[in-house]
Amino acid sequence: MKMNMTLRSILATTGIALLSLFSLLPFYIMIIMGTHVNEDLFRKIVLLPGSYLIENFKTVAASRFDLAYWNSFVVSAASTVLSVFVSAFAGFAFAKYDFKHKNLIFSAILLTMMIPSQLGIVAYVIEMRYLGLSGTLMPLILPWIANAFGVFWMTQFIKGAVPNEVLESARIDGCSDLGLFFRIVPAFIMPAVTTLSLLVFLWSWNNYLLPLIIINNPDLYTIPLSITTLGDAYRTDLAAQILGLSIGTLPVLMLFAFGSKSFIRGLTAGSVKG
Amino acid sequence: MEAAKRRRMPYLFLSPYLLFYAAFGLFPIIFSFYVSLTDWDGIRDKTFIGLDNYLHLFNPNSYFFKSIGNTLLFVAVSLPLQIVLGLVIATLLYSRAVKGRAFFQLVNFMPYIVTPVAIGLMFNLLFDWQAGVVNKLLLHFGFIDEAIYWLGEAFYARMVIILMLVWKGFGYTMIFYLAGLANIPKDLLEAAQVDGATGLRAFFSITLPLLRPVTMFIVITGIIGGFQLLEEPMLLLSGSGMGSSSAVIGGPDRCCLTAVWNMYDTAFGSTTRYGLGAAIAWGLCLIIALFSFLGVRLYKGDAE
Repeated sequence: MKMNMTLRSILATTGIALLSLFSLLPFYIMIIMGTHVNEDLFRKIVLLPGSYLIENFKTVAASRFDLAYWNSFVVSAASTVLSVFVSAFAGFAFAKYDFKHKNLIFSAILLTMMIPSQLGIVAYVIEMRYLGLSGTLMPLILPWIANAFGVFWMTQFIKGAVPNEVLESARIDGCSDLGLFFRIVPAFIMPAVTTLSLLVFLWSWNNYLLPLIIINNPDLYTIPLSITTLGDAYRTDLAAQILGLSIGTLPVLMLFAFGSKSFIRGLTAGSVKG
Repeated sequence: MEAAKRRRMPYLFLSPYLLFYAAFGLFPIIFSFYVSLTDWDGIRDKTFIGLDNYLHLFNPNSYFFKSIGNTLLFVAVSLPLQIVLGLVIATLLYSRAVKGRAFFQLVNFMPYIVTPVAIGLMFNLLFDWQAGVVNKLLLHFGFIDEAIYWLGEAFYARMVIILMLVWKGFGYTMIFYLAGLANIPKDLLEAAQVDGATGLRAFFSITLPLLRPVTMFIVITGIIGGFQLLEEPMLLLSGSGMGSSSAVIGGPDRCCLTAVWNMYDTAFGSTTRYGLGAAIAWGLCLIIALFSFLGVRLYKGDAE
């Protein structure tokens, strides 16, 4: 029996290790390809690191990749801050107040989570043009501010994490409702804020369709757009392009490595209870 | 006075959300329905044409149903694979038969968070018929005699897309099953063990039924998300020359054209038919709604 258990454990570990290899292999090949001179990629099989990393990096750096980084960062950071703030505001109302049509409004917001984000995109582009915003980064930030998932997430969390007694006693001490939100609530909801921030940042960073349609000015390119145009700049330099790919995906991978627990908690929220 | 003020507070807290949703969520949706009833390229005057755009969706030239068929095919093949793989790994990781659970969880979930554009390009390079590592290895070990034109033939191209989707998605289903497994009361399984149900038997008659809500959630969100598939096939098949005119729309014979790609291409790509693009978006949304409705009905009907 004991022997059996060990054998099973070894088999299971081997199986999972193989699958993990399947997950990692494309990343590995991508990193390795970025360290070789372009011609070698066509001539031979490259499985070990080469010595051309710095040269490739210089090529990438020449393409104003840093500007795309900055744009992506501005867009994602602004989306995150605004989205989390607005979600917490609405979540506080749903969690701690009773008002007319509360359940109806809450259900309606949840229902909008099911609507694909592309539904209004044609009209959204026209709207942005009409408002004169298509030459700015604003169109990439605005859709994230009203985030139905954020409201759901914040409502659930504030309901459970902010004790009513604390709110009541602060009220008795003369704290206004806005004061409650800004001075009392933040201390209790930091874990939820972290999770939601990570998710919105990731979604916004990875967004491609909206910038592809709206952004024409190369000075405003975000990382996903910039990655796709690397090929135009040096059509044949595959190695430099692959290095650009690695550099472009690095921030989200790092963010994830630091906050994987928060990520997972946020994504699986609501699935368990159906 | 105080009480009246207090009654207004929740609306104050809600107002930023509602205002931004009305302006940049709801308004574009409604306005795009109006656009879908017109013939418009975004520059000249709109011509109201009623339901003509919607009728045109039934014309094969619009690729509407073809693209939805392609999308459904990708979802129908990749989703079950993702579910089985994710479930098996989650069960193994959860059973503590495997050491280093946190590490494996992290590694297998990584593909899910990588920028979809990068995934498409990455696979484009891996499966490049000339410089791609896949062809080189297959040739080197003598599995094939000449390089396979992976992205140039419908069957192969579809296979690569499905592989890409499974690669990206199985870690995602894994974490959902891990969360679901953690929610199953331990004493239930222990009681089953006492009654002689062990191993696979316990898995199929106890664990699996209890994971039903999680599976249902994965299927529904998987279908909704699958319908929005765009970047991965787009970048896989057009590669980095996206902006150039040589970019292929939808792969060989449009066999990999997805629904959203079709919408993008109609409104903002090879043509600028905003009205038709909006009609594609609305048609797609109706079909997704139908699927969700049927899914929920099926689920509820089964549960009773």
